[in-house]
Amino acid sequence: MRRLLPLLFGVVVLALWEAAVRLNNVPEYIVPGPIAILRALGKDGADLLAGLVVTLEVTVAALLLAVLTGGGFAFLLAQSRLAEQTLFPYAVFLQVTPIVTIAPFVIIWVPNVFVVLLILAWMAAVFPILSNTLLGLKSADANLRDLFRLYGASRWQTARRLLLPSALPYFLGGFRISGGLALIGTVVAEMVAGTSGTRSGLASRLLEASYRLELARAMACFVLLSAAGFAIYWLLDILSRRLLRHWHESAKDT
Amino acid sequence: MNEAVTLRGVTKTFQTGTSALSPVDLAIAAGSFVSLVGPSGCGKSTLLRMIAGLLDPSGGEIARAWTAGPQGIGFVFQDATLMPWANVAKNVSLPLEIAGLPHDGVAEAIARVGLEGFAQSYPRELSGGMRMRASIARAIVAKPSVLLMDEPFAALDEFTRFRLNDDLLALWQANRWTVIFVTHSIREAVFLSERVIVMSPRPGRVVADMPILFSQPRAAALRNDHAFTDVCARVGAALGEAQAA
Repeated sequence: MRRLLPLLFGVVVLALWEAAVRLNNVPEYIVPGPIAILRALGKDGADLLAGLVVTLEVTVAALLLAVLTGGGFAFLLAQSRLAEQTLFPYAVFLQVTPIVTIAPFVIIWVPNVFVVLLILAWMAAVFPILSNTLLGLKSADANLRDLFRLYGASRWQTARRLLLPSALPYFLGGFRISGGLALIGTVVAEMVAGTSGTRSGLASRLLEASYRLELARAMACFVLLSAAGFAIYWLLDILSRRLLRHWHESAKDT
Repeated sequence: MNEAVTLRGVTKTFQTGTSALSPVDLAIAAGSFVSLVGPSGCGKSTLLRMIAGLLDPSGGEIARAWTAGPQGIGFVFQDATLMPWANVAKNVSLPLEIAGLPHDGVAEAIARVGLEGFAQSYPRELSGGMRMRASIARAIVAKPSVLLMDEPFAALDEFTRFRLNDDLLALWQANRWTVIFVTHSIREAVFLSERVIVMSPRPGRVVADMPILFSQPRAAALRNDHAFTDVCARVGAALGEAQAA
Protein backbone atom coordinates (compact mmCIF):
# COMPACT_ATOMS: atom_id res chain seq x y z
CA MET A 1 0.00 0.00 0.00
CA ARG A 2 2.72 2.47 1.02
CA ARG A 3 4.52 1.75 -2.21
CA LEU A 4 1.42 2.73 -4.16
CA LEU A 5 1.07 6.08 -2.42
CA PRO A 6 3.43 8.03 -4.73
CA LEU A 7 1.59 6.57 -7.73
CA LEU A 8 -1.79 7.52 -6.29
CA PHE A 9 -0.56 11.05 -5.60
CA GLY A 10 0.60 11.35 -9.22
CA VAL A 11 -2.74 10.17 -10.58
CA VAL A 12 -4.64 12.68 -8.42
CA VAL A 13 -2.42 15.57 -9.58
CA LEU A 14 -2.85 14.56 -13.24
CA ALA A 15 -6.62 14.31 -12.82
CA LEU A 16 -6.77 17.78 -11.25
CA TRP A 17 -4.65 19.14 -14.10
CA GLU A 18 -6.89 17.59 -16.76
CA ALA A 19 -10.00 18.87 -14.98
CA ALA A 20 -8.60 22.41 -14.69
CA VAL A 21 -7.69 22.50 -18.39
CA ARG A 22 -11.11 21.23 -19.47
CA LEU A 23 -13.22 23.33 -17.11
CA ASN A 24 -11.43 26.54 -18.10
CA ASN A 25 -11.31 25.68 -21.80
CA VAL A 26 -7.57 26.33 -21.97
CA PRO A 27 -6.39 25.85 -25.58
CA GLU A 28 -3.89 23.05 -26.20
CA TYR A 29 -1.22 25.43 -27.55
CA ILE A 30 -1.08 27.15 -24.16
CA VAL A 31 -1.46 24.30 -21.65
CA PRO A 32 -2.18 20.80 -22.94
CA GLY A 33 -3.82 18.38 -20.52
CA PRO A 34 -2.31 14.98 -19.68
CA ILE A 35 -4.65 13.23 -22.11
CA ALA A 36 -3.54 15.47 -25.01
CA ILE A 37 0.10 14.75 -24.09
CA LEU A 38 -0.64 11.03 -24.05
CA ARG A 39 -2.28 11.36 -27.46
CA ALA A 40 0.81 13.15 -28.81
CA LEU A 41 2.97 10.38 -27.37
CA GLY A 42 0.86 7.81 -29.19
CA LYS A 43 0.77 9.66 -32.49
CA ASP A 44 4.46 10.69 -32.66
CA GLY A 45 5.74 7.78 -30.58
CA ALA A 46 8.09 6.26 -33.16
CA ASP A 47 9.46 9.65 -34.17
CA LEU A 48 10.08 10.73 -30.57
CA LEU A 49 11.68 7.43 -29.61
CA ALA A 50 14.12 7.87 -32.49
CA GLY A 51 15.02 11.24 -30.98
CA LEU A 52 15.36 9.69 -27.54
CA VAL A 53 17.77 7.11 -28.92
CA VAL A 54 19.96 9.89 -30.36
CA THR A 55 19.94 11.72 -27.03
CA LEU A 56 20.69 8.57 -25.06
CA GLU A 57 23.57 7.67 -27.38
CA VAL A 58 25.26 10.93 -26.47
CA THR A 59 24.34 10.56 -22.79
CA VAL A 60 25.72 7.05 -22.46
CA ALA A 61 28.86 7.85 -24.44
CA ALA A 62 29.47 10.95 -22.30
CA LEU A 63 28.90 8.97 -19.11
CA LEU A 64 31.32 6.23 -20.13
CA LEU A 65 33.88 8.84 -21.14
CA ALA A 66 33.37 10.54 -17.76
CA VAL A 67 33.94 7.23 -15.96
CA LEU A 68 37.15 6.56 -17.87
CA THR A 69 38.59 10.05 -17.67
CA GLY A 70 37.21 10.95 -14.22
CA GLY A 71 38.26 7.65 -12.68
CA GLY A 72 41.62 7.64 -14.43
CA PHE A 73 42.38 11.23 -13.59
CA ALA A 74 41.40 10.67 -9.94
CA PHE A 75 43.78 7.72 -9.84
CA LEU A 76 46.62 9.88 -11.16
CA LEU A 77 45.89 12.71 -8.75
CA ALA A 78 45.80 10.25 -5.84
CA GLN A 79 49.36 9.21 -6.62
CA SER A 80 50.83 12.52 -5.59
CA ARG A 81 49.72 15.32 -3.33
CA LEU A 82 51.61 17.76 -5.53
CA ALA A 83 49.76 16.63 -8.65
CA GLU A 84 46.47 16.99 -6.82
CA GLN A 85 47.26 20.49 -5.60
CA THR A 86 48.41 21.56 -9.05
CA LEU A 87 45.59 20.12 -11.13
CA PHE A 88 42.49 19.83 -8.95
CA PRO A 89 41.57 23.54 -9.24
CA TYR A 90 41.16 22.98 -12.99
CA ALA A 91 38.73 20.17 -12.31
CA VAL A 92 36.76 22.56 -10.13
CA PHE A 93 36.84 25.05 -13.00
CA LEU A 94 35.19 22.40 -15.15
CA GLN A 95 32.50 21.95 -12.53
CA VAL A 96 31.63 25.58 -11.84
CA THR A 97 31.62 26.80 -15.45
CA PRO A 98 28.09 26.69 -16.92
CA ILE A 99 28.42 24.63 -20.08
CA VAL A 100 26.25 27.02 -22.10
CA THR A 101 29.05 29.59 -21.81
CA ILE A 102 31.58 27.22 -23.33
CA ALA A 103 29.24 25.78 -25.95
CA PRO A 104 29.69 28.57 -28.54
CA PHE A 105 33.45 27.97 -28.66
CA VAL A 106 33.13 24.22 -28.88
CA ILE A 107 30.55 24.57 -31.66
CA ILE A 108 32.96 26.75 -33.67
CA TRP A 109 36.01 24.57 -33.09
CA VAL A 110 34.49 21.12 -33.54
CA PRO A 111 32.83 20.36 -36.87
CA ASN A 112 31.06 17.13 -35.83
CA VAL A 113 27.79 17.75 -33.94
CA PHE A 114 27.91 14.42 -32.12
CA VAL A 115 31.37 15.28 -30.80
CA VAL A 116 30.19 18.76 -29.75
CA LEU A 117 27.36 17.23 -27.74
CA LEU A 118 29.68 14.59 -26.32
CA ILE A 119 32.20 17.17 -25.11
CA LEU A 120 29.56 19.36 -23.48
CA ALA A 121 27.75 16.45 -21.79
CA TRP A 122 31.08 15.05 -20.62
CA MET A 123 31.94 18.40 -19.06
CA ALA A 124 28.70 18.29 -17.10
CA ALA A 125 29.20 14.70 -15.95
CA VAL A 126 32.87 14.26 -15.15
CA PHE A 127 33.34 16.19 -11.93
CA PRO A 128 31.29 14.11 -9.44
CA ILE A 129 33.06 10.96 -10.58
CA LEU A 130 36.46 12.61 -10.42
CA SER A 131 36.06 14.22 -7.01
CA ASN A 132 34.27 11.27 -5.40
CA THR A 133 36.76 8.72 -6.68
CA LEU A 134 39.65 10.88 -5.51
CA LEU A 135 38.06 11.13 -2.07
CA GLY A 136 37.56 7.35 -2.02
CA LEU A 137 41.13 6.61 -3.04
CA LYS A 138 42.36 8.80 -0.22
CA SER A 139 39.99 7.25 2.33
CA ALA A 140 41.57 3.80 2.38
CA ASP A 141 42.05 2.59 5.96
CA ALA A 142 45.41 3.79 7.32
CA ASN A 143 46.06 0.53 9.20
CA LEU A 144 45.36 -1.52 6.08
CA ARG A 145 47.83 0.68 4.20
CA ASP A 146 50.40 -0.06 6.91
CA LEU A 147 49.67 -3.77 6.63
CA PHE A 148 50.21 -3.69 2.86
CA ARG A 149 53.48 -1.87 3.44
CA LEU A 150 54.55 -4.35 6.10
CA TYR A 151 53.90 -7.24 3.75
CA GLY A 152 55.93 -5.57 1.02
CA ALA A 153 53.04 -4.99 -1.39
CA SER A 154 53.94 -3.35 -4.70
CA ARG A 155 52.30 -0.10 -5.76
CA TRP A 156 50.14 -2.06 -8.17
CA GLN A 157 49.07 -4.61 -5.54
CA THR A 158 48.15 -1.82 -3.14
CA ALA A 159 46.18 -0.05 -5.85
CA ARG A 160 44.32 -3.14 -6.99
CA ARG A 161 43.61 -4.81 -3.67
CA LEU A 162 43.25 -1.82 -1.37
CA LEU A 163 42.76 1.55 -3.06
CA LEU A 164 40.32 0.57 -5.80
CA PRO A 165 37.97 -1.44 -3.56
CA SER A 166 38.08 1.34 -0.93
CA ALA A 167 37.15 3.89 -3.59
CA LEU A 168 34.34 1.81 -5.13
CA PRO A 169 31.43 3.05 -2.95
CA TYR A 170 32.53 6.67 -3.46
CA PHE A 171 32.94 6.13 -7.19
CA LEU A 172 29.47 4.62 -7.45
CA GLY A 173 28.00 7.56 -5.52
CA GLY A 174 29.58 9.90 -8.06
CA PHE A 175 28.47 7.67 -10.93
CA ARG A 176 24.82 7.95 -9.91
CA ILE A 177 25.00 11.74 -9.77
CA SER A 178 26.88 11.87 -13.07
CA GLY A 179 24.25 9.70 -14.79
CA GLY A 180 21.65 12.42 -14.28
CA LEU A 181 24.13 15.18 -15.10
CA ALA A 182 25.14 13.49 -18.37
CA LEU A 183 21.51 13.56 -19.50
CA ILE A 184 21.05 17.17 -18.40
CA GLY A 185 24.31 18.07 -20.14
CA THR A 186 23.17 16.39 -23.35
CA VAL A 187 19.81 18.16 -23.26
CA VAL A 188 21.39 21.58 -22.67
CA ALA A 189 23.97 20.92 -25.37
CA GLU A 190 21.29 19.90 -27.88
CA MET A 191 19.33 23.05 -27.17
CA VAL A 192 22.38 25.26 -27.57
CA ALA A 193 23.96 23.46 -30.49
CA GLY A 194 20.66 23.16 -32.33
CA THR A 195 20.82 19.78 -34.00
CA SER A 196 18.31 19.20 -36.77
CA GLY A 197 17.00 16.62 -39.24
CA THR A 198 16.52 12.91 -38.63
CA ARG A 199 19.56 12.74 -36.38
CA SER A 200 18.26 15.38 -34.01
CA GLY A 201 17.87 14.47 -30.37
CA LEU A 202 14.79 14.68 -28.23
CA ALA A 203 15.69 18.01 -26.66
CA SER A 204 16.06 19.60 -30.11
CA ARG A 205 12.68 18.20 -31.05
CA LEU A 206 11.20 19.60 -27.84
CA LEU A 207 12.48 23.04 -28.73
CA GLU A 208 11.25 22.75 -32.31
CA ALA A 209 7.77 21.68 -31.18
CA SER A 210 7.54 24.57 -28.73
CA TYR A 211 8.48 27.05 -31.48
CA ARG A 212 5.56 25.67 -33.49
CA LEU A 213 3.31 25.88 -30.43
CA GLU A 214 2.82 22.09 -30.53
CA LEU A 215 2.92 22.04 -26.76
CA ALA A 216 1.44 18.55 -26.40
CA ARG A 217 4.32 17.16 -28.49
CA ALA A 218 6.85 19.26 -26.58
CA MET A 219 5.52 17.95 -23.28
CA ALA A 220 5.64 14.41 -24.62
CA CYS A 221 9.37 14.97 -25.27
CA PHE A 222 9.70 16.28 -21.74
CA VAL A 223 7.95 13.20 -20.32
CA LEU A 224 10.26 10.85 -22.22
CA LEU A 225 13.38 12.74 -21.10
CA SER A 226 12.28 12.63 -17.46
CA ALA A 227 11.52 8.92 -17.75
CA ALA A 228 14.96 8.38 -19.26
CA GLY A 229 16.55 10.27 -16.34
CA PHE A 230 14.67 8.09 -13.86
CA ALA A 231 15.69 4.95 -15.73
CA ILE A 232 19.36 5.94 -15.69
CA TYR A 233 19.27 6.62 -11.96
CA TRP A 234 17.42 3.38 -11.30
CA LEU A 235 19.86 1.28 -13.34
CA LEU A 236 22.88 2.84 -11.68
CA ASP A 237 21.29 2.32 -8.27
CA ILE A 238 20.79 -1.37 -9.01
CA LEU A 239 24.36 -1.66 -10.26
CA SER A 240 25.62 0.04 -7.13
CA ARG A 241 23.65 -2.24 -4.79
CA ARG A 242 24.79 -5.31 -6.70
CA LEU A 243 28.44 -4.39 -6.37
CA LEU A 244 28.28 -3.40 -2.71
CA ARG A 245 25.69 -5.77 -1.29
CA HIS A 246 28.08 -7.99 0.65
CA TRP A 247 29.96 -5.37 2.46
CA HIS A 248 28.90 -1.76 2.35
CA GLU A 249 26.49 -0.22 4.84
CA SER A 250 24.71 1.68 2.08
CA ALA A 251 23.57 -1.58 0.44
CA LYS A 252 22.62 -3.41 3.61
CA ASP A 253 18.94 -4.10 3.06
CA THR A 254 19.14 -5.97 -0.21
CA MET B 1 70.16 -16.68 23.71
CA ASN B 2 68.99 -15.52 20.26
CA GLU B 3 67.45 -12.08 20.19
CA ALA B 4 64.45 -11.48 17.96
CA VAL B 5 64.93 -7.76 18.21
CA THR B 6 67.40 -5.44 19.93
CA LEU B 7 66.81 -1.73 20.51
CA ARG B 8 69.70 0.55 21.38
CA GLY B 9 68.97 4.09 22.53
CA VAL B 10 65.82 4.30 20.44
CA THR B 11 64.03 7.67 20.67
CA LYS B 12 61.12 9.24 18.87
CA THR B 13 60.37 12.91 18.51
CA PHE B 14 57.43 13.88 16.34
CA GLN B 15 57.58 16.73 13.82
CA THR B 16 55.53 18.86 16.19
CA GLY B 17 58.47 18.65 18.59
CA THR B 18 56.71 16.35 21.05
CA SER B 19 59.06 13.81 22.47
CA ALA B 20 57.20 10.51 22.51
CA LEU B 21 59.98 8.25 23.69
CA SER B 22 63.10 8.74 25.84
CA PRO B 23 65.99 6.48 24.86
CA VAL B 24 64.85 2.87 25.11
CA ASP B 25 67.23 -0.06 25.34
CA LEU B 26 65.56 -3.42 25.02
CA ALA B 27 66.40 -6.93 23.88
CA ILE B 28 63.63 -9.43 23.26
CA ALA B 29 64.51 -13.11 23.10
CA ALA B 30 63.34 -15.18 20.15
CA GLY B 31 60.34 -17.32 21.03
CA SER B 32 59.35 -15.28 24.07
CA PHE B 33 56.03 -13.66 24.87
CA VAL B 34 56.64 -10.10 26.02
CA SER B 35 54.06 -7.47 26.96
CA LEU B 36 54.48 -3.72 26.97
CA VAL B 37 52.17 -2.03 29.47
CA GLY B 38 51.77 1.63 30.28
CA PRO B 39 49.22 4.42 30.47
CA SER B 40 47.61 5.72 27.28
CA GLY B 41 49.94 7.94 25.33
CA CYS B 42 53.13 6.53 26.85
CA GLY B 43 54.49 5.67 23.43
CA LYS B 44 54.08 1.90 23.62
CA SER B 45 52.23 1.77 20.31
CA THR B 46 54.83 4.10 18.81
CA LEU B 47 57.53 1.74 20.05
CA LEU B 48 55.73 -1.26 18.54
CA ARG B 49 55.34 0.49 15.19
CA MET B 50 59.04 1.30 15.18
CA ILE B 51 59.85 -2.34 15.95
CA ALA B 52 57.60 -3.32 13.02
CA GLY B 53 59.40 -0.85 10.77
CA LEU B 54 56.26 1.21 10.13
CA LEU B 55 57.86 4.24 11.81
CA ASP B 56 61.48 5.30 11.74
CA PRO B 57 63.11 6.09 15.07
CA SER B 58 64.44 9.62 15.52
CA GLY B 59 67.57 8.24 17.16
CA GLY B 60 69.20 4.96 18.08
CA GLU B 61 68.99 1.71 16.19
CA ILE B 62 66.82 -1.37 15.93
CA ALA B 63 68.27 -4.74 14.93
CA ARG B 64 65.64 -7.19 13.74
CA ALA B 65 66.26 -10.90 13.31
CA TRP B 66 63.32 -11.52 10.99
CA THR B 67 63.02 -11.19 7.24
CA ALA B 68 60.72 -8.62 5.65
CA GLY B 69 57.27 -9.76 4.50
CA PRO B 70 54.57 -12.00 5.93
CA GLN B 71 56.89 -14.91 6.75
CA GLY B 72 58.90 -12.61 8.98
CA ILE B 73 56.25 -10.55 10.67
CA GLY B 74 52.57 -10.54 11.52
CA PHE B 75 50.80 -7.47 12.89
CA VAL B 76 47.47 -7.23 14.68
CA PHE B 77 45.89 -3.82 15.22
CA GLN B 78 43.44 -2.68 17.87
CA ASP B 79 40.68 -2.88 15.27
CA ALA B 80 40.39 -6.08 13.29
CA THR B 81 41.32 -4.02 10.19
CA LEU B 82 39.80 -6.49 7.75
CA MET B 83 38.97 -5.60 4.17
CA PRO B 84 35.17 -5.26 4.33
CA TRP B 85 34.78 -6.16 0.66
CA ALA B 86 36.47 -9.54 1.05
CA ASN B 87 35.28 -12.65 2.89
CA VAL B 88 37.26 -14.26 5.73
CA ALA B 89 39.17 -16.62 3.44
CA LYS B 90 40.26 -13.77 1.15
CA ASN B 91 41.22 -11.60 4.11
CA VAL B 92 43.25 -14.35 5.69
CA SER B 93 45.04 -15.18 2.44
CA LEU B 94 46.02 -11.54 1.80
CA PRO B 95 49.62 -11.88 3.10
CA LEU B 96 50.16 -14.98 0.94
CA GLU B 97 48.63 -13.20 -2.04
CA ILE B 98 50.90 -10.18 -1.65
CA ALA B 99 54.04 -12.24 -1.14
CA GLY B 100 53.14 -14.65 -3.96
CA LEU B 101 53.17 -17.66 -1.62
CA PRO B 102 51.00 -20.76 -2.16
CA HIS B 103 47.58 -20.48 -0.54
CA ASP B 104 47.61 -23.73 1.37
CA GLY B 105 47.39 -23.11 5.06
CA VAL B 106 44.50 -20.67 4.78
CA ALA B 107 41.94 -23.23 5.92
CA GLU B 108 44.31 -24.36 8.67
CA ALA B 109 44.85 -20.81 9.95
CA ILE B 110 41.09 -20.22 9.97
CA ALA B 111 40.58 -23.47 11.89
CA ARG B 112 43.29 -22.60 14.40
CA VAL B 113 41.51 -19.44 15.47
CA GLY B 114 38.21 -21.33 15.69
CA LEU B 115 36.49 -19.86 12.64
CA GLU B 116 35.71 -23.12 10.81
CA GLY B 117 32.59 -22.68 8.73
CA PHE B 118 32.99 -18.92 8.43
CA ALA B 119 35.51 -18.82 5.57
CA GLN B 120 32.91 -17.45 3.16
CA SER B 121 31.44 -14.93 5.62
CA TYR B 122 31.98 -11.21 5.17
CA PRO B 123 33.36 -9.17 8.09
CA ARG B 124 30.10 -7.35 8.72
CA GLU B 125 28.37 -10.70 9.30
CA LEU B 126 30.76 -11.49 12.17
CA SER B 127 30.85 -10.36 15.80
CA GLY B 128 33.72 -8.19 17.08
CA GLY B 129 35.44 -11.21 18.64
CA MET B 130 35.16 -13.25 15.45
CA ARG B 131 36.55 -10.37 13.39
CA MET B 132 39.53 -10.23 15.73
CA ARG B 133 39.99 -13.99 15.32
CA ALA B 134 40.06 -13.50 11.54
CA SER B 135 42.62 -10.74 12.00
CA ILE B 136 44.82 -13.08 14.05
CA ALA B 137 44.42 -15.82 11.43
CA ARG B 138 45.65 -13.35 8.81
CA ALA B 139 48.64 -12.43 10.98
CA ILE B 140 49.72 -16.07 11.48
CA VAL B 141 48.81 -17.58 8.11
CA ALA B 142 52.32 -17.27 6.68
CA LYS B 143 53.86 -18.59 9.93
CA PRO B 144 55.81 -15.43 10.79
CA SER B 145 58.70 -15.59 13.22
CA VAL B 146 57.42 -12.56 15.15
CA LEU B 147 53.89 -11.47 15.95
CA LEU B 148 53.29 -7.86 16.98
CA MET B 149 49.97 -7.05 18.61
CA ASP B 150 48.83 -3.51 19.37
CA GLU B 151 46.09 -3.67 22.05
CA PRO B 152 44.29 -6.27 19.95
CA PHE B 153 41.56 -7.07 22.47
CA ALA B 154 40.99 -3.60 23.94
CA ALA B 155 37.68 -3.10 22.15
CA LEU B 156 36.19 -6.45 23.19
CA ASP B 157 34.06 -7.35 26.18
CA GLU B 158 35.83 -9.11 29.03
CA PHE B 159 34.35 -12.54 28.40
CA THR B 160 35.42 -12.53 24.74
CA ARG B 161 38.75 -11.09 25.75
CA PHE B 162 39.47 -13.94 28.21
CA ARG B 163 38.60 -16.56 25.61
CA LEU B 164 40.82 -14.92 23.01
CA ASN B 165 43.63 -14.66 25.60
CA ASP B 166 43.33 -18.39 26.30
CA ASP B 167 43.32 -19.23 22.60
CA LEU B 168 46.22 -16.93 21.82
CA LEU B 169 48.26 -18.51 24.59
CA ALA B 170 47.50 -22.00 23.27
CA LEU B 171 48.57 -20.92 19.77
CA TRP B 172 51.79 -19.46 21.10
CA GLN B 173 52.59 -22.57 23.13
CA ALA B 174 52.12 -24.71 20.04
CA ASN B 175 54.26 -22.52 17.77
CA ARG B 176 56.62 -20.45 19.90
CA TRP B 177 56.80 -17.43 17.70
CA THR B 178 58.10 -14.28 19.34
CA VAL B 179 55.09 -12.26 20.49
CA ILE B 180 55.33 -8.59 21.43
CA PHE B 181 52.02 -7.57 22.91
CA VAL B 182 50.96 -4.02 23.76
CA THR B 183 48.14 -3.62 26.26
CA HIS B 184 46.94 -1.33 29.01
CA SER B 185 45.46 -4.24 30.95
CA ILE B 186 47.83 -5.45 33.66
CA ARG B 187 45.92 -8.70 34.18
CA GLU B 188 46.04 -9.50 30.49
CA ALA B 189 49.77 -8.78 30.34
CA VAL B 190 50.57 -10.92 33.38
CA PHE B 191 48.37 -13.79 32.27
CA LEU B 192 49.87 -14.00 28.80
CA SER B 193 53.49 -13.05 29.14
CA GLU B 194 56.80 -14.43 30.24
CA ARG B 195 58.01 -10.90 30.71
CA VAL B 196 56.21 -7.62 31.32
CA ILE B 197 57.83 -4.31 30.46
CA VAL B 198 56.33 -1.30 32.22
CA MET B 199 56.58 2.11 30.56
CA SER B 200 56.21 5.59 32.03
CA PRO B 201 53.93 8.34 30.72
CA ARG B 202 55.20 10.47 27.84
CA PRO B 203 57.99 10.74 27.05
CA GLY B 204 57.91 6.98 27.51
CA ARG B 205 60.79 5.04 28.98
CA VAL B 206 61.12 1.58 30.48
CA VAL B 207 60.62 1.82 34.24
CA ALA B 208 60.32 -1.86 35.13
CA ASP B 209 61.15 -5.12 33.42
CA MET B 210 59.56 -8.03 35.26
CA PRO B 211 59.80 -11.74 34.48
CA ILE B 212 56.50 -13.58 35.01
CA LEU B 213 57.42 -17.00 36.25
CA PHE B 214 54.15 -18.95 36.17
CA SER B 215 54.77 -22.21 34.35
CA GLN B 216 53.45 -22.87 30.86
CA PRO B 217 50.96 -24.05 29.76
CA ARG B 218 48.82 -21.72 31.81
CA ALA B 219 45.20 -22.50 32.52
CA ALA B 220 42.32 -20.06 32.74
CA ALA B 221 42.12 -20.85 36.48
CA LEU B 222 45.40 -18.99 36.98
CA ARG B 223 43.44 -15.74 36.88
CA ASN B 224 41.86 -16.60 40.24
CA ASP B 225 45.13 -17.62 41.89
CA HIS B 226 46.43 -15.47 44.78
CA ALA B 227 49.96 -15.56 43.41
CA PHE B 228 48.59 -14.18 40.12
CA THR B 229 46.83 -11.35 41.91
CA ASP B 230 50.05 -10.58 43.81
CA VAL B 231 52.08 -10.31 40.60
CA CYS B 232 49.41 -8.08 39.09
CA ALA B 233 49.61 -5.88 42.18
CA ARG B 234 53.40 -5.60 41.82
CA VAL B 235 53.12 -4.61 38.17
CA GLY B 236 50.39 -2.16 39.14
CA ALA B 237 52.64 -0.64 41.80
CA ALA B 238 55.47 -0.19 39.29
CA LEU B 239 53.03 1.48 36.93
CA GLY B 240 51.75 3.71 39.74
CA GLU B 241 55.28 4.81 40.67
CA ALA B 242 56.03 5.60 37.05
CA GLN B 243 52.94 7.78 36.80
CA ALA B 244 53.62 9.56 40.08
CA ALA B 245 57.26 10.30 39.20
